[in-house]
Amino acid sequence: MTATAPLDRAPRARAAAPLARSGRWARVLRLEIRRSTVLWAIPLLAALFFFDTFRTADGFAPIWTVRSSVINTNMIEDFGPFAAGLAAWVGSREGRRRTGDLLTTTVRPAWVRHAAALGGTLFWLLLTFLLAVAALYVDTARQATWGGPPMWPVVVGVVEVTTFAVIGFAAGALVPGRFTAPLAAIATFLLAYVGFHAALQVRPGTPTYALLSPSTSVPLGDVGVFYHVAPDLAIAQVMFMGGICVALAGLLVLAPLFQVSYLRGFFSVAGRVSRWLCAAGVALLVAGVAAAATAFALTGTARLGVSGWDIPALHDAASDQPIPYTPDCAGTSFTVCLHPAFSPYLSSVATALQPVAAEVAGLPGAAVRAEQVTGGYGSVSLQGLRLPGASQVSDIAGTPPVYDFVSDNGLAPLWGTPAIAGGGFWQSGFQQEFLIAFAANPASFSQTAAQQAVITALMVAVGSPAPQFGEDMTNGQPTAGATPAQIAAAAQRFESLSPAARHAWLAANLPALRAGHITLAQLP
Amino acid sequence: MNIELSDLTRKFGRTTAVDRVTLDAEPGVLGLLGPNGAGKTSLLRMLATVLPPSSGTLRLLGRDPGAPAARKEIRRRLGYLPQNLGYYPSFTVVEFVEYFALLKEVPPHMVPKAVAAAVEKVDLGPKAKAKLRTLSGGMLRRVGIAQAIVNEPELLLFDEPTAGLDPEQRVAFRALIRGLGQTATVVVSTHLVEDVGAACTEVALMSDGRIVFRGTPAELTARGVGHGVGDAPLERGYTAVLAAARSAS
Repeated sequence: MTATAPLDRAPRARAAAPLARSGRWARVLRLEIRRSTVLWAIPLLAALFFFDTFRTADGFAPIWTVRSSVINTNMIEDFGPFAAGLAAWVGSREGRRRTGDLLTTTVRPAWVRHAAALGGTLFWLLLTFLLAVAALYVDTARQATWGGPPMWPVVVGVVEVTTFAVIGFAAGALVPGRFTAPLAAIATFLLAYVGFHAALQVRPGTPTYALLSPSTSVPLGDVGVFYHVAPDLAIAQVMFMGGICVALAGLLVLAPLFQVSYLRGFFSVAGRVSRWLCAAGVALLVAGVAAAATAFALTGTARLGVSGWDIPALHDAASDQPIPYTPDCAGTSFTVCLHPAFSPYLSSVATALQPVAAEVAGLPGAAVRAEQVTGGYGSVSLQGLRLPGASQVSDIAGTPPVYDFVSDNGLAPLWGTPAIAGGGFWQSGFQQEFLIAFAANPASFSQTAAQQAVITALMVAVGSPAPQFGEDMTNGQPTAGATPAQIAAAAQRFESLSPAARHAWLAANLPALRAGHITLAQLP
Repeated sequence: MNIELSDLTRKFGRTTAVDRVTLDAEPGVLGLLGPNGAGKTSLLRMLATVLPPSSGTLRLLGRDPGAPAARKEIRRRLGYLPQNLGYYPSFTVVEFVEYFALLKEVPPHMVPKAVAAAVEKVDLGPKAKAKLRTLSGGMLRRVGIAQAIVNEPELLLFDEPTAGLDPEQRVAFRALIRGLGQTATVVVSTHLVEDVGAACTEVALMSDGRIVFRGTPAELTARGVGHGVGDAPLERGYTAVLAAARSAS
């Protein structure tokens, strides 16, 4: 060590200008960014994104709303616990590394250091998150045939990652310890998991507060296609999570109040923080809690709309108007029309429907055309369970009869990728729905044994596999009192008839069959 | 006066760590000696504005650190090396010192020069870009000294600064604080009486939270003539004063 001359510097008149202050903060932030712990976790986050989020999204239909739903489900499950754990690790740094005394003797208040440390952590977390979203959207853009990237899921995702990080950072700063980071990661994972399951339970007519959780089921296939997705819920979620962030920021500003080991009354303690800082901390805390509470109350008023959950106080009725579009159609004798967003499926849907349409062509009520219509959001859950609410099911109506099929029929609820659509099971699902609409009551949960037998026979006749039917377990008995073997035998009997004989029998007995008045024994 | 203490007391529950200490100091190097638990670190932490006193008055650099604005101004002119230096292993030497320079509000345009000067003063130039996790204990101590002097403080507080330094580095450190003591008030808390003898212009000896001796190293040495135990004259003075203080209480 050498005693050198003092630095050439003006004496202590360092009345720091705001510009200099922000310049200093930016340099501290740059240091934190350069030495951020998150850098070590980026390869792991990238791997999680690819193997979980990206591959999951790639299995969904290339519909923007459907693909982007993974941002708030898979991606948050991957990023959230890491964000909380890494931020808690950084937040607990001063306690773990015992730099508290040293840092207390510096001029800048604790919140400046905390803001820089959290900023450095968030910089890499959000950069990784946004790059992952970009990869997801580029992949979707290459496959989607209609629409554009929705931004609200990205906004909600960014706020959610930020919230997890702020929760973790606050936990680390307020309760520093080597176990704080893993505990914060586990706690936030459980929080997201509980929120996800609570959101899944929300039904029309039940409390809707759990919709504050952005993680919920994958939306139905046509969400955002026929109608705009209302941003109401996203706004409430951002307000709720943003409120939590702001409240925790206030708590961090006030953190020195909780770390002093002496207590001679609030005001003497507050004096160590400085009055304006104390006031700012309290204001942030109050504003954050108010925002979160407001969002909570707003979400309690949510109701199902044409394309998702609406919150009356936030809802813009103009967004309820249908989005105009020109359908893509295929076929001459039996035309199949799809929304342009589903164009990649047109060939598969036409290939599926045209044989069964030809099989029943000319019969009373047989459709001459098929058109895709909206399913009505919330009427069908992921499991195919039909729920109360504005619902639409595939049906044949009008003159001449047109088969209006919903985007999410019970057997192919997510459409899958266009590649999957070429599969036999996927196509037989469309055929089964078409024949249910033709030979049975499509709004009913189940079909009678005779209806099942006729539908099976018609599908086998066009070379498709025999369909599966759900059992009517309302009275604990198999469908209509018949066993699957009895239904299969009747179907085989009916299928063995000549096409002309089947056609003639159907022409004579369709109304009775549709009404459920035909028994298995009455089938030829 | 850069340090003015009057009846300064600090209690932790029922334990009185610092007991009615009255002390003042001008620019120069003040050695703070005393056995373990004498209250040196508590006194230093109060001087560093980390701990508020339980009672008594404390003025640093002519200001009352109890007032936020004054405390901020004091901290701008303060350098502190705690007994246990906390550090961030992933930071380099330069980054760690720069971090503190920025937090101490060294003007941004002067930070690189100030950091380089501080790092050179502690002879860590060749290790400037080394991560802190790769440094030895003695080197880390020098990093701690560098962050303490990066803002050219008027009040410097070193708690066991030479712990972990090799003899060559201790000699260099003494030269450094002698130089710093020309313009600043340097308080060095240590167990090593030879550091005090070599570098300090004044010495205060603490026992049971009180200052039981205040004078020059020569005066402390004189107290040991014919009394005390120890290999060096200053050690004999140290033990003699302590023995006298204990018998008096």
